[in-house]
Amino acid sequence: MPPKETPSKEDEDQSSFSRQTRKVRDLFSIPPPVKKLFDRVPIVVYAPNQLPQRAPKPARIPSLYVFSTSHDAAAGKPSFNPSCLKWQTFLNIASVNHRLISSNNHASPTGSLPFLLPAVQSNSPQDALLPVTSNKFVKYASNHGGWVDESPSMRYEAYQSLLDHRIRNAWLYTLYLEPLNFSSVAYPLYVSSTSSNPLVRASIAYQLRLAAETELLKHTSIIDTDDLYSEADKAFEALSSLLGEDSWFFGNDKPALFDASVFAYTQLLLDDSLGWKEKKLCRALRTRDNLVRHRERLLVRYYGG
Amino acid sequence: MAEGVDTGDDLFESLRKQVDPKKLEEKAKAQAEREAAQSAKAAQRLGELIGSNSSLPVTISSIRLIGASHTRRSFLDRIFDPILTANRDKAYTLQEALQEVGSATDKLRRFEIYHPSLSTFVDRPDPTDPNSSPTDIDVYIQARERGRISLKTGTDLGNVEGSAYGNLTWRNILGGAESLNLNASAGTRTRSAYQATFDTPILSDPDKRATVDVLASSTLKPWSSHEEVLKGAGAKYSWATKSGTRHQVGYTGMWRQVTGLAANASPTVRTDAGDSVKSSIIHTWFADRRDHPFLPTRGYYMKTVSEIAGWGPLQGDVAFWKSELETSAAIPIPILGIKGDSGVSLTGGIRGGMLYPLAIGFGSEIKPSRINDRFQLGGPTDVRGFKMSGLGPRDGPDAVGGDIYAAASANLLMPFPRVGKDTPLRLQLFANAGRLLALQDGKKSTSQSFYSTAAQIGDGLPSIAAGFGVVYAHPVARFELNFSLPLALRKGEEGRKGLQFGVGINFL
Repeated sequence: MPPKETPSKEDEDQSSFSRQTRKVRDLFSIPPPVKKLFDRVPIVVYAPNQLPQRAPKPARIPSLYVFSTSHDAAAGKPSFNPSCLKWQTFLNIASVNHRLISSNNHASPTGSLPFLLPAVQSNSPQDALLPVTSNKFVKYASNHGGWVDESPSMRYEAYQSLLDHRIRNAWLYTLYLEPLNFSSVAYPLYVSSTSSNPLVRASIAYQLRLAAETELLKHTSIIDTDDLYSEADKAFEALSSLLGEDSWFFGNDKPALFDASVFAYTQLLLDDSLGWKEKKLCRALRTRDNLVRHRERLLVRYYGG
Repeated sequence: MAEGVDTGDDLFESLRKQVDPKKLEEKAKAQAEREAAQSAKAAQRLGELIGSNSSLPVTISSIRLIGASHTRRSFLDRIFDPILTANRDKAYTLQEALQEVGSATDKLRRFEIYHPSLSTFVDRPDPTDPNSSPTDIDVYIQARERGRISLKTGTDLGNVEGSAYGNLTWRNILGGAESLNLNASAGTRTRSAYQATFDTPILSDPDKRATVDVLASSTLKPWSSHEEVLKGAGAKYSWATKSGTRHQVGYTGMWRQVTGLAANASPTVRTDAGDSVKSSIIHTWFADRRDHPFLPTRGYYMKTVSEIAGWGPLQGDVAFWKSELETSAAIPIPILGIKGDSGVSLTGGIRGGMLYPLAIGFGSEIKPSRINDRFQLGGPTDVRGFKMSGLGPRDGPDAVGGDIYAAASANLLMPFPRVGKDTPLRLQLFANAGRLLALQDGKKSTSQSFYSTAAQIGDGLPSIAAGFGVVYAHPVARFELNFSLPLALRKGEEGRKGLQFGVGINFL
């Protein structure tokens, strides 16, 4: 494997060692006649080969990889995964034009969805094509002309943690560990889509439930169902009183990332088409009228009803 | 002081030892020579004896296998019963009888449960025994069973791949030459692989084998920015035909995961990331009539692989028909002025393959192929002068594979000057070409897309590379070091200008 160019950084050093290594390098560098030969081949270069049929069609807009069905993704419908839905809604709010691609965690650089794949532009540098993970979405949106309202505050963070812990834990429990919901909601969405093989499905279903359980056991030593639900109920109450009679959270005149974060859970818990069987968490949310209306406002505004 | 004495003793000891091995060696040598001479003489005597008695009518009344305590009687009966005279309607001549016994011992040898040195003795039964007839002979076969459990560890080096392995073999488990093989390896490219294989001959025939295996592995595919994790099981049956070709039919169920994508993986690879199950039936057939597996000078080799996946009752997540044909032939080239074999030979090879997508199960929706089912082409062991999977469709940094391919190569092999043709070293001149295409999109039907893609193979020149190099045929693999230049290629295809090193068993 002859190196194509000889490195020239250490040339200043005149020690015998470097002289010797230069001799070796000269030995391995390409002699001029061979270089001339290399420059002349290949003699014929044809047009590139066509890509396989499954390859996604090139697009001028970035692609957002989310959990979805291919049909729903094409229609731009809300993802069925809370963190995908949060960022999908955020991009919609920030009016960053994108297309949805139905995917799974294996496709992601971090091991979890969502992520954004920038559109291929002929003049873009190589690293502009690297996937953007969700923690860089806000920056991406503001760099690409999106409307971003950045107002991090103590209050914001406190409420965000309500979502990230209390509501998320209750969500994990109700989706993966309530057997009725797991078989009627999670299984068709997350398991059936992976493979048609019953053994593979059983293995993936087991892994999913185990992952949810370990996630919950990170913070407590036992999973107390009543506690999880009552904590979530309190969190909804707190969010409800935060929203009050406003249209959007924190009294903004336009929705922002926090609205998307709340919507990610409220949309899924209030969507009857998912087929919830054990509706404790749904009921807790349904009693907060202003949160229900908040979800409807976003749904109408960004998902056309 | 005591220490000093000790070292002195050691010195004497070592001096004595230095002398001893030489003497021992000489002694052993002399003894071996004597033994060899003796056995040669014995063989000659036997030869004469058989020669002069070759048409002597005999009947094999009994065959005794000595030293096979772990082998089942019923298993041996199937080998020896047919050659006992009691089970035949015709008597033997001595020569015929010995031939039959010889082929039976050859079968025994091929089960690989005995040490290969099986010796046969022939004896006449006691004439006073009222049960015996004057033509009766008794055959004794002396066998030594190989260890039933063997453990092997080692390291392997291949094409840009290094690995370490451990292997446990349990031979002759049920006394019928059944074997269980457990293999674990870890390497740079095949990150981990675990395999358990149970293999048994059918009806005591070493040419008919049934195999059941389970495997789990994880392999890096750097040419398409991902890692493939496999878990699966299969069952195979293989047999040899009278003309010496081999068949194998098997079923495989495999859970594949395309995962661990590189940061710059292309959208095509990202689309195929995730799980899929392949449930398929594979038939392999091959005929090898070459005079050497790695450095043939005459003969031909032919292999076909046909696979049907997902169709009808097979189910699974992918459905296709896949066929591959691989041929190579060699002819010696006489050189004027050199008598006999010149050592110069011309070898040529043609390979081709196609993948035709089908509908899964009994459905009607045809799903296009995935990256783990499509073909890859290019590299030091097939189309030389291209990088590993350097041919075919590319999406950014990734070789994403194709559904139809064809490749051909011509190599002129010449012995090294002065070294001679009997060494496993050759100089080679080569030219090879290949084409790898994905099924065209936007056609009305799959068959239309298939035919128009197949026709496209002939568009323009194929991707071509030529060069020269050195070939070394080691007993376990062939090594090549070539200087190559790509002459024609498609934009994006990765040629290899300059030196390329290849290790493999099966070269184009």
